Amino acid sequence: MNRTCDIMACAMSRLLRDGETVFFGVASHLPMVAALLAKATHAPNLTILNIPGGADVEAPLTESYSSAGGGLLQTAAATFPLVEVFDLSMRGGLDVAFLSGVQFDCTGAVNASVIGDYFTPKVRLPGGAGSAVLIPTAKRAVIWRTKHDRRTFVNEVDFVTSRGNVSAIVTPLCVFRWYRDQLIVGSVHPGSSMEEVAEHTGFPLRYLELETTPAPSAGELALLEQIDPRDLRSLEFR
Amino acid sequence: MKKLTLLQEAIEAIPDGSIVGLGGNTLNRAPMAAVFELARQNKHCLSLVKTAGAMDIDLLCLAQCVASVDAGFVSYETEFSLAQHYRKSVEKGLVKANEHACYTVICALRAAAYGAPFLPVTGLREGDLLRVNPCFRRITDPFSGDPVTLVRAIRPDWSILHVHKADPDGNGAIFGPQYEDVLLSRASQKVLLTTEELVDRDYFRQGESKADIPGFLVSAVVHLPKGASPCGCHGHYPPDKETISSFLRLKDRAQLMEWLKGGPGGE
Repeated sequence: MNRTCDIMACAMSRLLRDGETVFFGVASHLPMVAALLAKATHAPNLTILNIPGGADVEAPLTESYSSAGGGLLQTAAATFPLVEVFDLSMRGGLDVAFLSGVQFDCTGAVNASVIGDYFTPKVRLPGGAGSAVLIPTAKRAVIWRTKHDRRTFVNEVDFVTSRGNVSAIVTPLCVFRWYRDQLIVGSVHPGSSMEEVAEHTGFPLRYLELETTPAPSAGELALLEQIDPRDLRSLEFR
Repeated sequence: MKKLTLLQEAIEAIPDGSIVGLGGNTLNRAPMAAVFELARQNKHCLSLVKTAGAMDIDLLCLAQCVASVDAGFVSYETEFSLAQHYRKSVEKGLVKANEHACYTVICALRAAAYGAPFLPVTGLREGDLLRVNPCFRRITDPFSGDPVTLVRAIRPDWSILHVHKADPDGNGAIFGPQYEDVLLSRASQKVLLTTEELVDRDYFRQGESKADIPGFLVSAVVHLPKGASPCGCHGHYPPDKETISSFLRLKDRAQLMEWLKGGPGGE
């Protein structure tokens, strides 16, 4: 039985290509693990960028690891602080940004701001962090979200923190991918089904072929254990 | 001019209604001892500025010190979840949330540091933030004729930064991640440094390693070992999860004031 966090980490890892630059922000444990897995498998020349400003970090998932802490600078080859990661993306030089949010629709609208009205919100969310400038400017914006239900994947978001240029959304059930100005189901995870995805999605589903997300291989699982012995990748599911 | 002072005096110099920039990022090197003192002194109507805040903003909201927050992100890291006091304060209309992309806070501070009234932000092109945040304007680039977004300068009255080493003249050095602290020091009218370690005047003058923040920009220095706790300070201590959890259990301002009396950063 595959764990969802392992399926998601592997799916996110496979979206990265060798030689690319990849950025993730705070509270981004799953992207960190995915990027390190990509580096250990098909993308050894991946350059990992982050908030603390370490460029090209190696496995820092020690006891005190935090996605904004100094550990992500300690094993870096160079310093490249957050402001410069943003600048890089603005000038078109950032390949992949990992971001999240709370509501999404099939046009690539992302809401990380509020549920209800902005000025009198029912729920004030943490905010989009870099989303509003990184999603439009990164070559590919990849979203991960550890909940897949009709409150998350909606027909229309309450607030548009950012819209468009979402390359993929990785969820516990499937991978959505961008195709002709909208999100379609790219692949359904092993253990789930198109029916289950449809039941938990508030927008109409489209797909080109019924594909299954590749299950984590024995090799990938062994590497995940090695890269992330503290199982940070499951933190969002606890 | 004597800059070395005590925390209480340094915070007394920050008036109600000030725009206050806070150093650090989420649970890392936030100037928590100074934040506790702002709460103890019952400051009102502060406008807080930070790219990504957590317990600092959350605590000042619970203490009812805050009028508005300009930030890209306000939340704890995954294991502590949402900043509930910030969230409730905004939902009740007590605090105005001016949501930015983190980079637009940086651009607003850069504008202030450059002495410019605003900066163009490539990348912020559409979406509802343009509509709701008064810091943004969409105009026509006079050179290309294309639309471009501007962000208005934010010039904090004070920035409060917790550094690793500072001398009595206010020269301050940060080791490890600097986040937006150096930029805040350039963008602000006045800077308060709290420092993990107080070094003598020769430390930077005679050493190879120089200060990141020059003393002439700094108004006050307070020697405060563990001044970022219960947030972490790179190279010194990680976030203190037990104390953060005990804070998260507080329900109201009265409980917070009790907690601050006996708690961390207490006299």
